[in-house]
Amino acid sequence: MSGNTGQGKRVLNTFIRMRSLNVFIIFALLFTVFTIFSPGHRFSSKENMLVFLAAGSEYNIVALVVGMLMIAGEFDLSVGSILVFTSYVFLSLFNTGINILAALILTLCSGAVLGFINGIITVKAKIPSFITTLGAMLLWRGVTLFWSGGEQGGLDFTQNPVIFKAISGVVGGLIPAQFIWFVGITIVIALLIHYHKFGNWIFTTGDNKMAARAMGINTDAIKIICFVIVGAAVSFAAVMQMFRAATFSARAGDGWELKAIAAAVVGGTALSGGIGSIIGVFWGAMVISVIENGLIFMRIAYWWTFTVFGVIIVATAIISRVIDQRRAMLGADR
Amino acid sequence: MSDNKAKGKSASSSARTVHDASLVRMVDIHKWFGKVCALRNIDFHVNHAEIVGLVGDNGAGKSTLIKILSGFYTADRGEIYYEGKKVDIANPKVAKQLGIETVYQEQALAPHVSIARNVFMGRELTKILGFMDRGRMDEESMGAITKLGLRIKDPEAMVEALSGGQRQGVAIARVLHFKAKLVVLDEPTIALSVKESQQVLDFVQQLKAEGISVIFITHNIFHVFQAAERFFILSHGEALTDVRKEDTDIDHLIDLIVSGRTEMK
Repeated sequence: MSGNTGQGKRVLNTFIRMRSLNVFIIFALLFTVFTIFSPGHRFSSKENMLVFLAAGSEYNIVALVVGMLMIAGEFDLSVGSILVFTSYVFLSLFNTGINILAALILTLCSGAVLGFINGIITVKAKIPSFITTLGAMLLWRGVTLFWSGGEQGGLDFTQNPVIFKAISGVVGGLIPAQFIWFVGITIVIALLIHYHKFGNWIFTTGDNKMAARAMGINTDAIKIICFVIVGAAVSFAAVMQMFRAATFSARAGDGWELKAIAAAVVGGTALSGGIGSIIGVFWGAMVISVIENGLIFMRIAYWWTFTVFGVIIVATAIISRVIDQRRAMLGADR
Repeated sequence: MSDNKAKGKSASSSARTVHDASLVRMVDIHKWFGKVCALRNIDFHVNHAEIVGLVGDNGAGKSTLIKILSGFYTADRGEIYYEGKKVDIANPKVAKQLGIETVYQEQALAPHVSIARNVFMGRELTKILGFMDRGRMDEESMGAITKLGLRIKDPEAMVEALSGGQRQGVAIARVLHFKAKLVVLDEPTIALSVKESQQVLDFVQQLKAEGISVIFITHNIFHVFQAAERFFILSHGEALTDVRKEDTDIDHLIDLIVSGRTEMK
């Protein structure tokens, strides 16, 4: 009898300890609901799954690195603008006719430079990254609109079949390349921040900067590196989007900054830094993108998307707070 | 000033006689901040495996003296001898290399990171390509914690889950593991319960038993009186007295600190 309740308690405790498992369950529930209630169960049709995994992964990659930056104790509100700016950088490079791989690498570099600017201003001028990147958000979107004239531009990738396949093909007719990139980047970042000493520096920098500094960790450098990784990853998502859509839109990345933070928070990342897990952010991003995709199939008005986002974000934040209090007592697996 | 003379007798004279017995000796230390003189003519030493209480009211110059010793400030005048050799502690890194470690309560630990990762913060044990050797980090941090007499089950637990006394223990275990020779504890019992404070005082004795010297900085004369063997009292940037425990008592020390003068008794 008592053994039974003990086991029940242990299962509950395991559940509470595994933050990423909680988020996965939310994702699974939403997935099931959308499958059951979408007319003709079209949500889980192969066609939609391909769209969901391809288009969703672009945003998911951005959410992932924003989550890492938040663990280091900083924000980046400029990811949407870095995305549109680097999209235009890629379009311009592509139109010059240079080697596409060179264009891709230069685009990644431009994203890294924008991230570096965010980082260096934040740590050297000692202003909150919320402000730095708010400025960057307005600046880079403005520059892109001015530079592009607000126009759309098409791209033709028929000359580059190999790289097109590598970035936006479908592997085995089932899994979009974008999703494989997303999973691959998740694994690399998860290994880096949970198993590498650099990850320990990120966590301690975000958790107690004074302590990290007293132990000889260069917290400014850690933060700048995280901003650079964000910039580079966002520009990679920009390239992916250009390959998939074969067009440049001046509205690309609009609103992604808050959705990325939402994914990180749903995935268990603390706004104050020092707390979070990459697997949690992975599922947090999947939750946000499944809502965005699923609601389209529910044949309900678009504004419901915002309403549902709002409710889910606040609800998960409250639930995580309760869970975190329990978890502090138990010790945690993230 | 009459205080100056009194101090000169107790501290400076001993400087010449026991020069090489001490682990660290600071001689004639002066420090100005602009026109404000924060420290004047300070002679301070710590012997091997000795616990010294550094006591004084707010603004007495305790933390300035310690920051000079741990490399955060440099003295405007004066010399520091470490194990008999003259040293230039230009920055905190040099102090750490010498084996001088400072434990500040607020700056010691990251609460949402595991105990083992806190112990090895910035000095992680790695296998290949910088990936952490978590097994060894768990094992060695538990080793240091156990040596200190602290009972903690799980090195993977978050520091947040520990009591204030246990947190101090983890911070002290860290300096023990990294072979500190001189540990500076800055207000180690502040904001701790009676029981937790007692636990921290036990850790201090354990450090001594390991052959480590301790400078115990505090306002709490009762805690320091129990722990320390010698008391160095600062007042307004000057050394008021340097007295062994057997030559004084709590009331005398309190009188000294409150009055800021030596001729009270």
